[in-house]
Amino acid sequence: MLYVIFCFHVHQPFRLKHYRLFEIGKNLNYFDNELNERIFERASEKCYLPMNELLLNHLKKYEGTFKISFSITGTFVEQAYLYRPDVMESFKEIARQGGAEFIGETYYHSLACLFDEEEFIHQVNLHSTMLKREFGVHPKTFRNTELVYSNRVSDLVAENPNFRVILLEGTEKILKDTSPLYVRRSHNYEHILLFRHYRLSDDIAFRFSDRNWSDYPLTAEKFARWVADLSLSEREGKNLYLVLYLDYETFGEHQWKETGIFDFMKKLPEYLLKYKHISFSCPSDVLETLNYEPEVLSVPFPVSWADTERDLSAWLSNPLQWNAMKTYFEILKKVKEKRKMELMELARKLSSSDLYYYMCIKYFADGDVHKYFSPYERPEDAYIYFMHVLTDLEKMIEGE
Amino acid sequence: MRILTLTWEFPPKITGGLSLACYGIVKALLKKGVEVDLILPIRENLYFPLRKEEDADLLPVASPKGEIIHEEFKRKTLRWIEEIPSAYKNRRLIMRELLGKERVFDDKILNDLLQILHDGWLFDDVREWTISAIEIARHLDFDIIHAHDWLAYPAGIVIKKISRKPLVAHIHATEFDRAGGPGERRIHDIEYLGLQEADRVVSVSNYTAREIAEKYLVDPSKIRVVHNAFIIEKVKEKKRLFKEPTVVFVGRITLQKGPDYFIEIAHRVLERTKNVRFIMAGRGDMERMVMERVASWGLGTKFLFSGFLSRNEVAELFASADIFVMSSVSEPFGIAALEAMSMGTVAIVAKNSGVAEITRSTFKVDFWDIEKMADIIVDLINNPQKLEEISKRSMEEASSLRWEDQVERLIAVYSELITS
Repeated sequence: MLYVIFCFHVHQPFRLKHYRLFEIGKNLNYFDNELNERIFERASEKCYLPMNELLLNHLKKYEGTFKISFSITGTFVEQAYLYRPDVMESFKEIARQGGAEFIGETYYHSLACLFDEEEFIHQVNLHSTMLKREFGVHPKTFRNTELVYSNRVSDLVAENPNFRVILLEGTEKILKDTSPLYVRRSHNYEHILLFRHYRLSDDIAFRFSDRNWSDYPLTAEKFARWVADLSLSEREGKNLYLVLYLDYETFGEHQWKETGIFDFMKKLPEYLLKYKHISFSCPSDVLETLNYEPEVLSVPFPVSWADTERDLSAWLSNPLQWNAMKTYFEILKKVKEKRKMELMELARKLSSSDLYYYMCIKYFADGDVHKYFSPYERPEDAYIYFMHVLTDLEKMIEGE
Repeated sequence: MRILTLTWEFPPKITGGLSLACYGIVKALLKKGVEVDLILPIRENLYFPLRKEEDADLLPVASPKGEIIHEEFKRKTLRWIEEIPSAYKNRRLIMRELLGKERVFDDKILNDLLQILHDGWLFDDVREWTISAIEIARHLDFDIIHAHDWLAYPAGIVIKKISRKPLVAHIHATEFDRAGGPGERRIHDIEYLGLQEADRVVSVSNYTAREIAEKYLVDPSKIRVVHNAFIIEKVKEKKRLFKEPTVVFVGRITLQKGPDYFIEIAHRVLERTKNVRFIMAGRGDMERMVMERVASWGLGTKFLFSGFLSRNEVAELFASADIFVMSSVSEPFGIAALEAMSMGTVAIVAKNSGVAEITRSTFKVDFWDIEKMADIIVDLINNPQKLEEISKRSMEEASSLRWEDQVERLIAVYSELITS
């Protein structure tokens, strides 16, 4: 059997406003509320609402044979309540319908695992609490921010025994020449590792509307045939797991409605289910359907799903990012030491990895992607204003 | 006495020291009863007849025939030449018209100038302004032509030819200073021509006087040094941003201004004390390089960048700072140091700057002597009383350096030319 596991990454960060030098010490609002609202509104109309409706219809229509999963961040939920409660309601409706798994992660979409492990565990717990409160679920599957994974991540996640499965990037860096369709066991035997199939995921996420792509246009029928062909090389009857992990905004935002992306998703289940050896699955279903003993995989250095390097370079490749993140976690420690609990929530919002991503200075194709996602003209500006905010926060902690 | 003043910058247009210096000079001249006809690079064929002190701020606008069009300069009615990318006038047409009208336009120098000012970036704008300035000046009556920096030299040279009036070429900075290296050849050509054609050359410092005598072969006997002063528009009260002593860099982040020395100084100081903040204000081609290097030292929030600051915010920054470091590799004058001092900010300036020649309360250090600058800063941080004392002295000194005194020397230069 070949299991298709859809996972949608649903996230919005609290973007910072252009916090001026002379606003340091004035403790003004750090966030660009207007921009955050505008982006959320746009995404709601173009993506969240129409796509939720489409998926909900599938869940109803295929009654248990169509399955999906979501990784929804805490900052997204907060913004949904702030700006579009109807979006929140539509996610809840999907949860009530059944067939959708909600995945655990850090509440703030942070990279705390690299700088402050205690904080990481805390943010994961905050997120689990949120999932319980909002959707009534206890997550069994974990995925770290931007699929950042290393042995250490598995060790930390193991502190919460609910988590049995971890999603990560199926990059050659760790899989060498083996297929991402086979699951592995983490080095500590605590977790089953599922791998994002980046080629097929990116066929939808990046290449779908690319007219220079030799496979353009991508139809549901064609995609289903590619998926079906994946199982041809498996001769021992081992179950295969195809993880299609996508930014939720792929649907309607990155790929506009006019590209036919919704049509594609509307037809896809039908074409996939035509094949007897294909079915849909939630990530944690692997615990029941696994029919072989997976090999152990050790990942000593962090990998991620970002950019062509599949490493941490999108967030930590230049000194601006490093100084910003290092300084941030130092200040967060001070907040805790001085027991400034009233500042915790504010401080934690600054841990969102997006804020460091905007400071990325990389050229070529990846630079374009960074620019697309950044609210700033230059990475320098992202750094300047972030540091002003940090300084203001620091002064507040010192009681100045 | 009436002076025809040509400058590319004048408030409200301010990108650096040039604008502030021209404003100071013109205002002080008016106060002394010297009249000024001011020609600025605006799109319209108009000039500014300034007769009394307030006119330096109002900028009444007149047509070349002398009729007042506006009582004061308004952003909406006039536009700077470079604000409209493609000329709304057909340049070629004007050229032909001008060339046909006046014999003097067969002059070799003008043809050379127009050759130099061919296409590209600023040159198109300078060319257009030159032609329009010549046209306006034809209708005006004045005793002396005073051209500020290379952008005004082409017009100055030609107007001298037409009017047969003496030309004063003021040098605020040379292309060597700005580029921190050989620079743009065409600008050097214009600087050379302007300084050679001028009857007197006014330099903002002894340092620059030596530079131009050496590099542009200017006859030292026609060079006069007139240092800048600073007009305190509004004394800002000291308003701290940080409780720690604050050290600032203000200027373009480019080779000439030595931002790389400043960050090295900061690094050394922070190794010795944490009781300090560094702020770098300005933008420029070295911004990313400098920022990355500072960040790589992991100085946290001890070293901040301001992003773009308006004029008013620069003043605010000085008012919030304790020490201003001007580590310029090349600084003909350095008016920012006077501005800093006027707000009680202690200035550490490069030894080879104009401002170092005339101030007593500044620390004067070779721009490359990072250790010494760091020593001075640490010493001031550790001795708040000393800092306070020098701050007071700096403020007094800045207010004693007045344009009224400096323009006396300028008026002497004018008189010399008129009587000879």
